[in-house]
Amino acid sequence: MSEPLAAGPCAIKLQVFEGPLDLLLHLIRANEVDIADIPVTQIAEQYLDYLELMRELNLDVAGEYLVMAATLAWIKSHMILPAAEEDEAEEGPDPRAELMARLLEYQRYKEAAESLGERVRLGRDVFALHPPQPRATPGAEREIEVGLVELIEAFRRVLAAAPQGAGFHEVEHEPITVRERMVVVMDVLARAETADLDGLFELAGDGRPSRALIVVTFLAILELVRLAALRIHQSLNDGNVPEGPIRLRRAEGARDWNEGLPELM
Amino acid sequence: MDRKRQKQLVEALIVAAPEPLPPRRIAEVVPELAAGEVPELVDELMQEHAQQGRGFEIWKVAGGYQLRTRQELAEFVRQLLRERPLRLSRAALETLAVVAYKQPVTRAEVEQVRGVEAGPVLRGLVERRLVRIAGHRDVPGRPVLYATTRRFLEIFGLGRLDDLPTLREIDELLPQPGAAASQPELPGESAVSAESAESAGEAPGEVAAEAPAMPAAEASGEAR
Repeated sequence: MSEPLAAGPCAIKLQVFEGPLDLLLHLIRANEVDIADIPVTQIAEQYLDYLELMRELNLDVAGEYLVMAATLAWIKSHMILPAAEEDEAEEGPDPRAELMARLLEYQRYKEAAESLGERVRLGRDVFALHPPQPRATPGAEREIEVGLVELIEAFRRVLAAAPQGAGFHEVEHEPITVRERMVVVMDVLARAETADLDGLFELAGDGRPSRALIVVTFLAILELVRLAALRIHQSLNDGNVPEGPIRLRRAEGARDWNEGLPELM
Repeated sequence: MDRKRQKQLVEALIVAAPEPLPPRRIAEVVPELAAGEVPELVDELMQEHAQQGRGFEIWKVAGGYQLRTRQELAEFVRQLLRERPLRLSRAALETLAVVAYKQPVTRAEVEQVRGVEAGPVLRGLVERRLVRIAGHRDVPGRPVLYATTRRFLEIFGLGRLDDLPTLREIDELLPQPGAAASQPELPGESAVSAESAESAGEAPGEVAAEAPAMPAAEASGEAR
């Protein structure tokens, strides 16, 4: 937006300022006035016009702008009032002095920032063999939270590999509870930092896990996630696609996870 | 060990180092080499790279040497890496400048200079590891102190903090009555131009003024 706005005798362009000091510096430059002798009335008027414009555009007028408006009003009043009231003999300090000092100080850093921005920058203008930020090697250690879809996908994969009865099967009571599997999973994670999701399904011991065991283990893991006792991760490959094993990790502060257990089956 | 092999070694170590490699480390790895000898070898390597018109050059940053691609090739390297370059808003750059020149500083001091809230921008700079928390100031409230990081030096190609151009003096910013055109030379700029002139003499050809400005002169000082 570079629509000029007629603001009193001088048109200001709408641009984004870094705050009240930046805006004031701009007005001082636009009006070609001396920073050591700021015509406060004129500048304050334009300043307020700009604030009004920001409001009309529904821009958030930050509190700092309002504080500065008040400061300008204060300076203006002190310049208009005859200094007689206070001390006749000596002339008080210029009420603008402090503002001028702040403007100059800000201008120094503004210029320093500009020259910093113009420096040859690593990662933009020049590149090093080893990038400046820790960048994961493809496929490794770059972890994301795994969504439910990936989890169910993994579940289906394990389930598909589980033995299936052909046509009919014997109903066999396997005494597995979600609660028991939760304890098993947390036990594993208490010993090792992380565990493979696929590996957990095989913890039944001998042979391939039964479908019931897989289902119950899966439910146990979901329950543990719900209790915030563990977190599930998977690496991203180069194209930001999750790849590789899904890993479980004990969540920080997971110590009390089994407090909620009694309510479960 | 002949000179050619010394240079090969230094070059190899700079290539393999994960971060700017200080001369001291080179001397540690190669006992036959004193840290004081390194800068000269690096200077020669730099000249060779420039003469041969290589696509890379050695930079002196964050107290060490680092191999970097030449600036004029950036466009293509960027395409290869497809990485978003580190973007810094004006607010971030201004905040960074205040921290860099005034460090260690509190948030309140940054806000005093810029006249706006600094918390979120400072947090962002800390997250991007350009600024670090450098302790607390021992005053009521124990405000956090901020300082720049090594990574800041690396990103902005600075050998050390002293290499930041000198801040302009306040009176330079005031309109000088009478002497409008002939401003006294700025300390920062004159230092820079002297440095690049010097290194231009050493390394013929149009070596990017920025890069060689650091190694030659400073490396020797750094070698202690």
